[in-house]
Amino acid sequence: MSGVGMIAEAVSSGLTTAASVAREVGGRLTGAMPLNATLHWSQALLDRQAAALDALSPAERVTRPLAGVPIALKDNMVTTDEPTTCASKILEGYVSPYDATVVSRLRAAGAILASKTNLDEFAMGSSTEHSAYGRVHHPLDAARVPGGSSGGSAALVAAGVVPAALGSETGGSVRQPASFCGIVGVKPTYGRVSRYGLVAFGSSLDQISVFGRKVDDAARVLAAISGHDAHDSTSAPLPPLALEPARHELTSFTFGMPREYFPADLHGGVRAALDRTAHALQQLGATIKEVSLPHARFAVPTYYIVAPAEAAANLARFDGVRYGPRHVGPEGDVQALYRATRGHGFGPEVRRRILIGTYVLSSGYYDAYYRKAQQTRALLAEDFRKVFVEQQVDFLLTPTTPTPAFKAGEKMEDPVAMYLADIFTCSINLAGLPALSLPVGRGEGLPIGAQLVGPMFSEARMLAVASAIEAVVDAVGEVR
Amino acid sequence: MSIRREDVLHVARLAALDVAEEDLPRLVEQMGRIVEFVAQLEEVPAGDSAPPFVAGPAQVTLRADEIVPSGLVRPPVAFAPEFTKGFFSVPKLGAMEGAE
Repeated sequence: MSGVGMIAEAVSSGLTTAASVAREVGGRLTGAMPLNATLHWSQALLDRQAAALDALSPAERVTRPLAGVPIALKDNMVTTDEPTTCASKILEGYVSPYDATVVSRLRAAGAILASKTNLDEFAMGSSTEHSAYGRVHHPLDAARVPGGSSGGSAALVAAGVVPAALGSETGGSVRQPASFCGIVGVKPTYGRVSRYGLVAFGSSLDQISVFGRKVDDAARVLAAISGHDAHDSTSAPLPPLALEPARHELTSFTFGMPREYFPADLHGGVRAALDRTAHALQQLGATIKEVSLPHARFAVPTYYIVAPAEAAANLARFDGVRYGPRHVGPEGDVQALYRATRGHGFGPEVRRRILIGTYVLSSGYYDAYYRKAQQTRALLAEDFRKVFVEQQVDFLLTPTTPTPAFKAGEKMEDPVAMYLADIFTCSINLAGLPALSLPVGRGEGLPIGAQLVGPMFSEARMLAVASAIEAVVDAVGEVR
Repeated sequence: MSIRREDVLHVARLAALDVAEEDLPRLVEQMGRIVEFVAQLEEVPAGDSAPPFVAGPAQVTLRADEIVPSGLVRPPVAFAPEFTKGFFSVPKLGAMEGAE
């Protein structure tokens, strides 16, 4: 399948039609049904979007940077023409009365919204097993998970159904599945992309993020959806991302490898792939040095206080009054309606997180948990600042995940084991920084991702650096 | 710190969430493990006066408090469980805590 740039060029120039692209992507979506990666799509909707694009004049089409590019969308971003369920029974059948800002921007850029994709319910999970509509299968090994929570988007990109997709991150939900599936995942700086129309999970952490088969695919889509939006008060007052040309050498760059991200028990294949990537950086002229992020080990416990606390507050709105199905409790009053609707509608992991979040915010525990977590979060952010500012490191190089994709069911009974899948990613969300995952080889056939982390709003440079690495590191070769 | 059955029932009440009796033992055990895990933060060297994190890029400022059109493409009756005469309808408020 062609990349984002090639499809847009072909449709803009009239070499092919959007209608033809829509038929092809419909065929691929049908073929990919065994992955269980999609929740809603229809050939009729694909055709309708394509027809509108083909009806434009050639002069109008060339102004659309994503003309005819099929892009999948995690089903926690609202759209007016398809349901938005967050993979939860509590939003079954809900169709939004407005489009998310990213959706409006993709439409304006000429993209074809290909499918709403499966996810861990309300984006809570690291395997896409916590979906009310069944788990997503890894495209290379159906017995394994694609990662999560944006596993449906990742699986569709990795399977070649679409060249790019949107996911959302709260603690690593795009980079982790990108690493598991062998594709590129870019989490922008908090504030770079509007959250308007993204169903809120952890509002101080959430950020819409992008998958691409290649760096260029993700970069073009990120450029189209970024930029200030008055609908989101945390949206940074900046213009859309201006991309930089790919680099062919990195002589002026210093990369830090934090020792806390390379523990003694790190998976052998992951370590070998990262060693090879560091060597490639040196070959490109970069300087590599070991650095320290001394509070790194507190990132996961901090995250699992802050995120559930925010989730407990955000998910209070799902109560059977304004959206979704309603269940009336035996007492027949409004309080029973809330309890019964939420008890029926939320799945086990969402219930668990609401309860934990309520617990850490409750009287007598707030200082010990939530306040302490916010103080630790400040220390984690300061660790990064010191490395970037005082030690003059341009980017950090780390593994994205401690292991390649794990088997389905392996961590379902142990929530803490599942949470540790985010050990190398969630500190970046806590600090609000941009980061990406890049495929850098395979171990026993399973993809391995390297993570780049940068200072705030360094995405353009980071993407140019990632392109340089992509050009010299074999993304699909077995590492030894 | 261990989590007891009463703790789970208490927070479930605060969260307005029905929890089935048969799910309680597993929830008590799993929440206990999670709370024990996050309690590691006791070791963090941050005193009471340590500053908390403030989310968001420094450039973000509050927007003007102005009413703008909502731009909804369909009315609430299209997505609410019950919407009549311009209101979201709910059952009676009979069992308010502390109410007679």
